[in-house]
Amino acid sequence: MKPRYIALRLVKTALTVIAVVVLSFFLIRMAPGDAATVMAGQSGYADEAFMKSLRAEYGLDQPLPVQFWKYVQAVAHGDLGTSYVRRQPVLSVILERLPNTLLLDAFALVVAIAGGVWLGSLAARRPGSAGDNVVSVLSMVFYAVPQFWLGMMMVLLFAVWMPVLPPFGIETMGADYVGLARLGDVAEHMLLPGVTLGLYYMASYARLTRAAMIEVSDQDFVKTARAKGISERQVSRHHILRNALIPLVTYAGLQASLLVGGSVLIENVFSWPGVGTLAYDAVQARDNPLLLGIFIVTAILVSLFNLVTDIAYSIVDPRVELG
Amino acid sequence: MPLVQIKNLSVALPPGSDRALAVEDVNLDIGRNQIVCIVGESGSGKSLTAHAVMRLLPRGVAATGGSILFEGADLLKETPEAMRRRRGRDIAMIFQDPMAALNPVVAVGRQVAEQIRAHRAISESQALKQAADMLGQMGLKDVGSLLKAYPHQLSGGQRQRVMIAMALSLSPKLLIADEPTTALDVTTQAQILKLIKRIQTEREMSVLLITHDFGVVTDMADHVAVMRHGKVVESGATKAVLGSPSHSYTRALIAAVPKGESHLEPPPPSAPLVKVEGLTKRFRRGGLFFRTSTVTALDDIALTLRRGETLGIVGESGSGKSTLARCVIRLLDPDAGQVLLDGQDIAQAKEKTLRPLRRRIQMVFQDPFSSLNPRQTIGDILTAGPRAHGEDAREARARAADMLALVGLSGETMKRFPHEFSGGQRQRIGLARALMLKPDVLIADEPVSALDVTVQAQVLKLLDDVRRQMNLAMLFITHDMRVAAEICHRVMVMRHGRVVESGPTREIFANPASDYTKALLAAIPGRQAL
Amino acid sequence: MTAFARRFFSRPTALFGFAAFAAIVVIALAAPLVFAAGPFTIVGMPLLPPGSPGLPAGSDVLGRNMMVGLAFGARISLLVGVTSTLGAIGLGVLFGAVAGYYGGVVDDLLMRVTEFFQIIPTFVLLMVLVAFLEPSLASAVIGIALISWPQVARVVRGEFLSLREREFVQAARVSGLSDRSIIFGQILPNALTPIVVISSMMVGNAILTESALSFLGLGDPNLLSWGNMIGGSRSAMWVAWWTTVLPGLCIMVTVLALNLIGDGLNDALNPRRRR
Repeated sequence: MKPRYIALRLVKTALTVIAVVVLSFFLIRMAPGDAATVMAGQSGYADEAFMKSLRAEYGLDQPLPVQFWKYVQAVAHGDLGTSYVRRQPVLSVILERLPNTLLLDAFALVVAIAGGVWLGSLAARRPGSAGDNVVSVLSMVFYAVPQFWLGMMMVLLFAVWMPVLPPFGIETMGADYVGLARLGDVAEHMLLPGVTLGLYYMASYARLTRAAMIEVSDQDFVKTARAKGISERQVSRHHILRNALIPLVTYAGLQASLLVGGSVLIENVFSWPGVGTLAYDAVQARDNPLLLGIFIVTAILVSLFNLVTDIAYSIVDPRVELG
Repeated sequence: MPLVQIKNLSVALPPGSDRALAVEDVNLDIGRNQIVCIVGESGSGKSLTAHAVMRLLPRGVAATGGSILFEGADLLKETPEAMRRRRGRDIAMIFQDPMAALNPVVAVGRQVAEQIRAHRAISESQALKQAADMLGQMGLKDVGSLLKAYPHQLSGGQRQRVMIAMALSLSPKLLIADEPTTALDVTTQAQILKLIKRIQTEREMSVLLITHDFGVVTDMADHVAVMRHGKVVESGATKAVLGSPSHSYTRALIAAVPKGESHLEPPPPSAPLVKVEGLTKRFRRGGLFFRTSTVTALDDIALTLRRGETLGIVGESGSGKSTLARCVIRLLDPDAGQVLLDGQDIAQAKEKTLRPLRRRIQMVFQDPFSSLNPRQTIGDILTAGPRAHGEDAREARARAADMLALVGLSGETMKRFPHEFSGGQRQRIGLARALMLKPDVLIADEPVSALDVTVQAQVLKLLDDVRRQMNLAMLFITHDMRVAAEICHRVMVMRHGRVVESGPTREIFANPASDYTKALLAAIPGRQAL
Repeated sequence: MTAFARRFFSRPTALFGFAAFAAIVVIALAAPLVFAAGPFTIVGMPLLPPGSPGLPAGSDVLGRNMMVGLAFGARISLLVGVTSTLGAIGLGVLFGAVAGYYGGVVDDLLMRVTEFFQIIPTFVLLMVLVAFLEPSLASAVIGIALISWPQVARVVRGEFLSLREREFVQAARVSGLSDRSIIFGQILPNALTPIVVISSMMVGNAILTESALSFLGLGDPNLLSWGNMIGGSRSAMWVAWWTTVLPGLCIMVTVLALNLIGDGLNDALNPRRRR
């Protein structure tokens, strides 16, 4: 473990989080009408006196730096504002839904990585072969398909024409399963959206794995390995794959941020009660604090995940040094 | 019976290559307890011949004819599994660049142990012990911590010793070494070659050594085969081939190797044109947020250069010679010191004063494949500089045609693109480009290091002729002492950013004062025979 | 020039991609001429299947001609795709070139910015931006350009960084050429290849992103795009498959064509690489 490298990554993550907070502060100011106008409109009162008192309460009449500092303090304490529609603190609304999204996204990530690495290494074994071309074509197709539409097609296929899997929700309504049965029910509901979400990223993982393995195979040390007379399986595993994995670890971190965006769409199509559907509701209702809060929370989570993958990267590649 | 008999071997290249056969009808014997060298320039097929013996040819390249008999058995007819069992155990191979040839993410000890365990059923810890023993035999110190080190933590020489230890750990009968020292520093080269010779004698092993350097042949080989365009043009005992080469190509190859003797006339006396004093350059590593480490590439360098003379800057990698060249020509900004050109200081000059001065000092670069803009015609490349200084385009083009003739190329060249030319031709174009600005000083930064030996000799002669004709002051950067002897009147030896020694070439070669210079001279391949 | 064209068109996939994309462009340009009534005109009963008289692609939930909608949708996708990519390329080349050539603090700053955009969930950010700027064609284009330029800058910076150290650039400096003429005359022509390849992929990505925005209701409310055709037909999906399948296929074919063109360009411009 390299303490200096890790300390550096921690600093970078902290800076990213700060940048997210600063960015969101400026995004708020972009929102049409200020908070007071919107809130007043919601509550039914619109007279000047009330607006003035609202502004004073929320510090909207203060100079910019003061507002910024107040905002930073609020965020540090977990106060991300109040949802216009639900009248609840944004953070608690998000946290309520977050586990569902984490579950779905984690499953999709596993599907994407496992499937992608497997397919990519298969394709790389014999470049130019029929198998390789099939994988390439499939990857191309999945790259071009809009995720939300793919989700809808999956629903049509597996829930309507061949009713094998439940098309929406996280569990069967009104069934009230508990314990292991509940787990199974959730898993069954998670299968379709999870795989659909994972398919798109599986395509890019397969492409990346294939490219990495082909590039590594051409390097001199693989020739040395063969010159030593070790078995082809050992060459493949300890020399080729071991080195090809290095870029894949970093890529997992980047995938995570893309995955969050995809999650919004997939959760929508499958009515999965997660942060994605929450974002959709917020958009429809113009619930700006909630929408912004979702951005902040997801951004922070993804940057933490990137920190983890970066640390994993330093373990996997002993050449990693400062910077 | 010889250990290895290569009979009528042919190796085919994939369709679309510049020739059909990389190796054509090659016959070669490797006897027991002897070193056989295959010597040739790039594209001769020497490396692929060696790879064919191990059956390690790259994708798309295959042996199409002949046989390779190893103790009577034809290797080309063995099953893949049988061949695998031979690799590392009967025949071992080491490659040119030890950094690329070792797995970068696995500790060095484990890689050696992996070789041992490939053919012996022993435990990991036993294998590591044997590995440690081998590493010690190869002259490596501090073996305990070396076992756990990664390749990037070792020096080039250490890495190559690890490769050799790995290759020899199962006492193979044949060691194939494909240009094993080309990627190493001169002094390290000599050590590695000595090591190979020592173990060959100790173990009475056979060695097939691939090289492009006839000096190495002289030092190492009992027998030599000369290859060109895939064919063996001449072979025999080294002394015989060297003493009376029968083929014209062999003669050309031997003649092209710089002998390390200086035959230059002294230049006409004149006042110093370039004076460098106190030149210092430091490099800082690190970015916005980290503590930085500093490397002093140049430490208080001083030199003088006169018209009509060539000063050679000789050093190994990391000596600072390239940095020196770049500071003198102001491609890098020095941290301290002066570079006086006729009294005017280039080193600290501001942009405005610098631009007109730039005409007077020009450079020929090392890599012929990246020193010309691939998207410009030769005509545009040659006239770009003069036009930037205000010269009329048509005049410049006329002069460019003359310049091409001077360097031995036809006027036709102007319309073509760089990729249509060979390495040697591109270096000539690079020289023409530099001369277009009518400089007083020419800096040549390793101009022939990337060229084949026969081409090298031509380009060196061209540089020397140009220097004489135009009375240029030339600064010649090289790592090869033999080349320096050919073309430089005076020589300055550098190490770790400092000047070790300087003086007239003949003096330095005859009576080197410092130990480092002595080591450099002793390391020249083929020195003993000269 | 012709050698490049020969190489490009010799690959069947690139040829197919080019032909398909050309066809889509033609349809998009011809749409207002052929279907003068526009996509919002109600022509009959809702949810009529394809093959019904006068409705080769059927009718949607409101009784509008699907065929017309698909043709007009192409205009939106192409417009947003191309414009946002042009914007992203413009910004990306500008920042990337300056950072890659001059290095130093500017480069460090750019690297931090690109890393930031790689880490944060850019689609969520886009949703926020478009929602706050009020959904429209302009906000979609601006938003997509803003979240895509960092990756272009990264590529351009990398190219400039490596090209700057190439000896022919150093030779140009030694010859006394000005920084401007080096950046534009020497480096940029050599850096074009990855920029061109990445552009076609980016147009495809932009089209996917725009359709996702429209699907979520963040598209221009006055225009009909493939994304909101799909979004608006969700309730009818189970009984009238053509209302969702057809627009989706259009998106897929367009993006696939662009990706195939990108792959073809990559192979044609880097002939030394062998698959």
